[in-house]
Order: sequence, then C-alpha cells, then structure tokens
Amino acid sequence: MADFLTSTHRAKWIFPPQELKEKYKAANQRARQMLEKYGATRVEVDIDGSLSYPERQNEAKAEKHSRAKPLKTEEEHLIRAFYEFKIQDVCDAFKFPRKIQATALIYFKRFYLQWSVMEHHPKDIMLTCIYTACKAEENHVSAEELGKGIEQSHQMILNNEMIVLQSLGFDLIVYAPYRSLEGFVNDMEDYIRATDDQRQTLMALLETAKIEADKTMLTEAPLLFAPGQLALAALRRSNQVHGVLDFERYLRSILSRQQPVHTISELTTALNNIDSVVSKLATPTASDMKHIDRKLKSCRDPSSHDKSKKRKHRSKESPSQLHNMA
Amino acid sequence: MGAAAGYGQLNLEEPATWGSRNIDCFQKLEQIGEGTYGQVYMARDNKTGEIVALKKIRMDNEKEGFPITAIREIKILKKLQHENVIRLKEIVTSTGPEADEQAKPDGDNKYKGNIYMVFEYMDHDLTGLADRPGLRFTIPQIKCYMKQLLTGLHYCHVNQVLHRDIKGSNLLIDNEGNLKLADFGLARSFSNDHNGNLTNRVITLWYRPPELLLGATKYGPAVDMWSVGCIFAELLQGKPVLPGKAEPEQLNKIFELCGTPDENNWPGVSKTPWYNKFKPTRPMKRRVREIFRHFDRHALDLLEKMLTLDPAQRISAKDALDAEYFWTDPLPCDPKSLPKYESSHEFQTKKKRQQQRANEEIAKRQKLQHPQQHSRLAPQMQSGQAHPPQWSGHNHHMNNSQPPISAGPGHHHYGKGRGPGGPSRYPPGGNPSGGYYADRGGQGGGFNSGPYPAQGRGPQGGVPTSGSRAGASGGYGVGPPNYPQGGQYGGSGAGRGSNPLPGNRNQQFGWQ
Repeated sequence: MADFLTSTHRAKWIFPPQELKEKYKAANQRARQMLEKYGATRVEVDIDGSLSYPERQNEAKAEKHSRAKPLKTEEEHLIRAFYEFKIQDVCDAFKFPRKIQATALIYFKRFYLQWSVMEHHPKDIMLTCIYTACKAEENHVSAEELGKGIEQSHQMILNNEMIVLQSLGFDLIVYAPYRSLEGFVNDMEDYIRATDDQRQTLMALLETAKIEADKTMLTEAPLLFAPGQLALAALRRSNQVHGVLDFERYLRSILSRQQPVHTISELTTALNNIDSVVSKLATPTASDMKHIDRKLKSCRDPSSHDKSKKRKHRSKESPSQLHNMA
Repeated sequence: MGAAAGYGQLNLEEPATWGSRNIDCFQKLEQIGEGTYGQVYMARDNKTGEIVALKKIRMDNEKEGFPITAIREIKILKKLQHENVIRLKEIVTSTGPEADEQAKPDGDNKYKGNIYMVFEYMDHDLTGLADRPGLRFTIPQIKCYMKQLLTGLHYCHVNQVLHRDIKGSNLLIDNEGNLKLADFGLARSFSNDHNGNLTNRVITLWYRPPELLLGATKYGPAVDMWSVGCIFAELLQGKPVLPGKAEPEQLNKIFELCGTPDENNWPGVSKTPWYNKFKPTRPMKRRVREIFRHFDRHALDLLEKMLTLDPAQRISAKDALDAEYFWTDPLPCDPKSLPKYESSHEFQTKKKRQQQRANEEIAKRQKLQHPQQHSRLAPQMQSGQAHPPQWSGHNHHMNNSQPPISAGPGHHHYGKGRGPGGPSRYPPGGNPSGGYYADRGGQGGGFNSGPYPAQGRGPQGGVPTSGSRAGASGGYGVGPPNYPQGGQYGGSGAGRGSNPLPGNRNQQFGWQ
C-alpha cells in the first residue's frame, strides 16, 4: 500500500529540530557570503528558467554598497511567516480547498530549506508554490488566471516553476493533517459509541480542530512531525474546548490497537512539542514587515536604491500593497 | 547582475541533496525509444556505472509551464512502489542545450533545458519479445507474465491508479523474467467517490474497451482489465486479436467477437453517449468460445471474464489472480527460470544499427502521417508474415529451451513507443540461428521454485472487508491515516495459495 509510510514525505521531509535550524542557518550563511562578496543576494531566474547569480562588483561599487545588511535568520523566519499567511489569503480568495493551501504551504516551507529569502523573493515563490500545488492536486488554474487575480505577472510564476520543482526534488505528494483529522473523528465516534448528541459535539470538535490544523500549517511543525501527529495535537487542543472525551485514554486506546512504534509518553511528548511550536506562531506586524522588507530589498539588489524605473517597479512588492491584494 | 555563475564560482556549497541532479551525471549511450512524449535513452550513471533508461519530458506547451501530464506521471510513479511497476529512480534536469543537441533557434519563451525521468533499465518489452522470430512462449511462461501483469495492476488499482494504456509495449521485461508496468503518461488517480468526468480518449485502440469507444466518461479499473484480456488473448493466439483501424471498426471487431451489447447483457449500455451513433445494425452472438476454442478450458474461462462487455461485470485484477488458470497445471513458472534473451541494445552490429535507423525513419514517417496516438492505423500485415498461432493451448509443448535470438529492431518502449501501427511489429531482421540456450530448469511440470507456491491453492486468506471504516489506529505515529486504503495488498502472491500478508500495523485499518 502506498501511503504516508512509504512516502517521500516521511522519508525525506521530516527533520529533527536541530537539523532544521542548521538548514536555515546554512541558507542564511550562503546569502550573507554572497552579499559580502558581490554586494547583492538576488538570484535571478531568467525567462528560460536558468539561474543567474550576482556578478562580482568592482571594488568601488562594492564599497558603496557595503552598507547593505543581510537579514538575520529570525528576520528571514518572520518574512517567511508573513508570506505563509499570504498563501492562506490568496487560497481563500480563490476559494481553493484546504488541501491545496496545505500543499502550497508545504512546498513553500520545503523550498526555503534550501534557499534564503534573500536569494529568491518569497512573494514570487509563494505564487509559484500555489500554482504548482494547484497542478499537483488536480485543480488546475492557468498561470494567467492566477496572476490576474492578484495583479501579478504570470510570467514570473512560470519562470520560477522549474526552480521550485527542482528544489522540491519533484517530491510532489504531500500529506496534510486534514484527512487524518476526519479519520480520527470517525474512529472516536466508534470509540465512545457516540449518541446523536455526541455526534454533534464531535462535528464541532472536528471543525475547531480544522482551524487548529490551519494554524499548525503556518508553523514549522509540518517539517518536524508526521501529519497524523499534527492531527492528534489539533484534536487534543480542540478537545480542550469541547471536552468530548478523555483524550489520554483515547490515545492509549489507539496505541493498544496496534503494535505501537511509540510509547504513550513519547506520543504525549510529541503532541506537547507540537503545541509548543504552534503557540509560538509568529504573526508579523506591518511595522515588522516594513523594516524587514526594506532590508531585504537593499541586500537583494542594492542598486534599487537609485531612483530608477526599476525601483518603481519593485515597489509593487511592498508588503503593505500585498495586504490589499487579496 | 546577470552573469550565469554557478555555485562553483561562488565557491559555495552545492545545493543540498534533495534538489534534483543534473543530466551530466549520466552518459547517454543510445536512443532506445521515441514517443509522442519524447525520446528515451539508455544511459550510464557516471558515478555508479549503473545502466538506466532516461525518458525526456517534452516541454512544448510553454503557456502552462511544466506539463501537468508529467506532474501526474511523476506523482503516480513516486507513489507506486512495487516489483511489478517500473521504478522511477529520480528526475534530472539540464540547463541549456546538451552536448548532443543542436542549438535551436531562440526567440520563444520556453524552458530550454530538458527534464528527464530516470528509470531502472529493462531489457525488453512484451511485444518486442513476442515478435522475435522463432521465439515461443511456453504456457508456464505466459501464466508467469500474466500473473505479474495482474499483480502489478492490482497494486495500481488498490492504490487508486488507472493505468489507461495497458499494451504489450508498455509491459517491460528484464532478464530475470520480471515484468513491470511502465509508461504512466496517461495514468490517472481515481477515487471511488470521484464524480468528475475522465476523458475517454485513452488506451491504444486495439486494447480500448467498449465503454470508452461508446463515449463513457465515468469509468474505473475495468478499463485496464479489458486491455489485459486483449493481451492475454494475444499471447495465446500469437497475434493481436482486435486490430481495428479506426474507432467504428474497433467496436465492430469487438461486437463480432463478444456479441452485441444490449440492456440484458449490459444494463445501461443504451444510455452511453455514443450508443445511438455506433449501435449495431444487427444482433451478433458472442463467439469468444468458438473463436478461441483451441485455448485450454481455464484460459478460456478467464478470458471470457476479462472480455466481458459490461464493465460492471468484468473481472477485477484481484479476482483474476484467483482464477483456476493460475492454480492448475502447468503452474506459472518462476520468473527466474525463464530464459534470458539477448538485449536488443548491446553488442549490436553496425548493420543492425543501420537497419534500426532505417526502421526509425519509417516509424517517424508513419508517425507524421498518424500523429493521433489513439487513432493509430493497423499495421500493414504483409501476407505470410503474420505469425501463425504459436501456442496451441495444450500442455504438450513446453520446451523452455529457446535459441537466443539476436536483436531485431529496437523493442524498447518506456515511452509511447511504437504503436500497433509501427513497422517493427513484425521485424524483418533478426538472426534466427544461434546456439541453444542453457536450459534454466523449471520445466516439465516442476514449476515449483520461486515465489509462486506450487501446492495448489491455499486458504483464502483473511482479506479484510474493504469499506469498513476503521480506526485511527492506522497512524498516529509515523503513519497517519491519510489516504484511503482499499483493503490490504498482499505482495506478489496476492490471492489464493499465498496468505496475504497480515498487513503491517498501519494497514490493518482500511481508511475508506
């Protein structure tokens, strides 16, 4: 049976927390080095999909731009978080199903394990991830339609498609917690031998859990934990609101029905860790973003400081504008 | 800004391991296929020396970027992991023109690099093998191939994948006797609750089931089973059994063999979209048993169930694996006992290469004439060239010793290779002489080595009732209950005689 157990998701895309940190650090480090050497970090994706790196600046020029400061990893984290919220906004605006939203978010997260936001602007990557998720989830939307809906160039979406696919290693099947949520709730129905009233409560439990799962998808948790665990954590939090069942007993019952790979304490620890990650969900404020965005712009492409045509064009990318687009 | 500098120039690390590798990691050895999809090459992995097949993904429609058909194929191939399904090893890309490419005139916006799927290399395909002059499959060999085909297809269907292009040239065979389903370029995921419409323009004409010819857009695994029936009959008969030239003729051929459909034998047939257009002018009797009367009884019983007009009554892959045919003497042989045939690609003489080139030329020209892959014309059957029925269906001729036949024109089709219309169907070349091949045993009734138990049927193992909505216990841990599972799938020995695997912990609860 081909399922999560045999998936690339499980084999390649769930990391220990330390490894995740190192990956973010490495990407950040590389962009820093690039900035130091070349005075810019922006990796251009050409119309044919090939990449162009910044050229070495001549000494004088490099001197002039040496003031451009690289983003710190925390700032990178914040700007990624900002665009992850944006993914949800865009998907909501297009009324895409949750599954597509989750897939796009996971693509986006995986992409930035390999690249720094200083190299590839998250606004571009966000849209390309949504576009690719639509294709992969059989909900095809033309690039033009997607671009038009949010007043962005569809050519940019297409230009970035190859680098996104390559960075994902073409591992396109991803597992979101939503299916597991429904499975577990169905199971709970049997487990508590639900009456009609209880069934109603269980539905409310499911709805709250879905919202909890939406929140979870905006954190790093999907890169750290299996989707089934994300689902259970969301249900446990939801159960704290609805109080439908003794959750620990339910967890024990699940474990007793299979040859457990984890003990109850391991499982509980995992759920606690998920809760802790989710509780730290960063919600970047407009002023945070203004600051970071300015910094990002100057290190990606310092020449944009010149009052040139280019700058006018690029100012379209400012987050405040993005706020209004959906 | 803007100079194309690689990581090397920046003296920075290579991209991490999960990014796709570059085509430079492989040395192309030879083109072994050409399809609507793109070229297929035999290549060597520079690092490991392993021989692989590279299938180029065409990037023609730049309007929507990376083709959705390729996305589907990659998704499906990455999901399916089974010994009877071709293994996609990785995807590699090239940026800019490759050494063997001539620079194309620029000016358009399309991605100029190439993308290749890297597959395990397989020596043959079923049609190519069957077409070798002088080569005969034995009954245990046919059973062995059919069993592997059904096992692979059952796995696909359990995983909710329709292949939609089952035909001999898409069934690859290696020199260990393993058969693998290949070319998932037309495959689709389906779900039982899927209400969307699917295209009926799939499956190569000769293997296309009546429901698709009648315009059905809601269909399921039964479409693949019709194709399997056609292949089964072809293996026993020695030639394609329904070689229609166009859709109306194809339906007619089906009616002549299987009788005309009506509301009795196929409830609902009169409501299919094109029924009135193609409805038979006169009722015809089903003649499967008459036309194939020389087949053995169990083969005929199974074939009848596969070539059932009504898709709802057509046998499933799982039930077909339980058919008497596979559990009566002579039993399917062990794949490893099958003779090894000389590969079509190695050690080719110059002459053969030239011949191949000439054949490819013809194929290309034919392709130009018939660009529609689903409305191919039948081969020009030169009289006297068609194979006589090679297999009598009786058990008396079971000589496994085949002279190895040197290569005819290439028979490799990872991609949409030669269709029924290809000129290589009855290869003119080949060298029928040659020494006797060492007998690998496994004949004379002793087909009891290997994975297929010879001791007749075992108990019908405890296959869980699918559809039971069961517990979340499928996977809080590492295996969350994400995708619906249609019951359990018991490895290579699904069905009788082998106990389906007890199911690992995450599979015992069918998520429906």
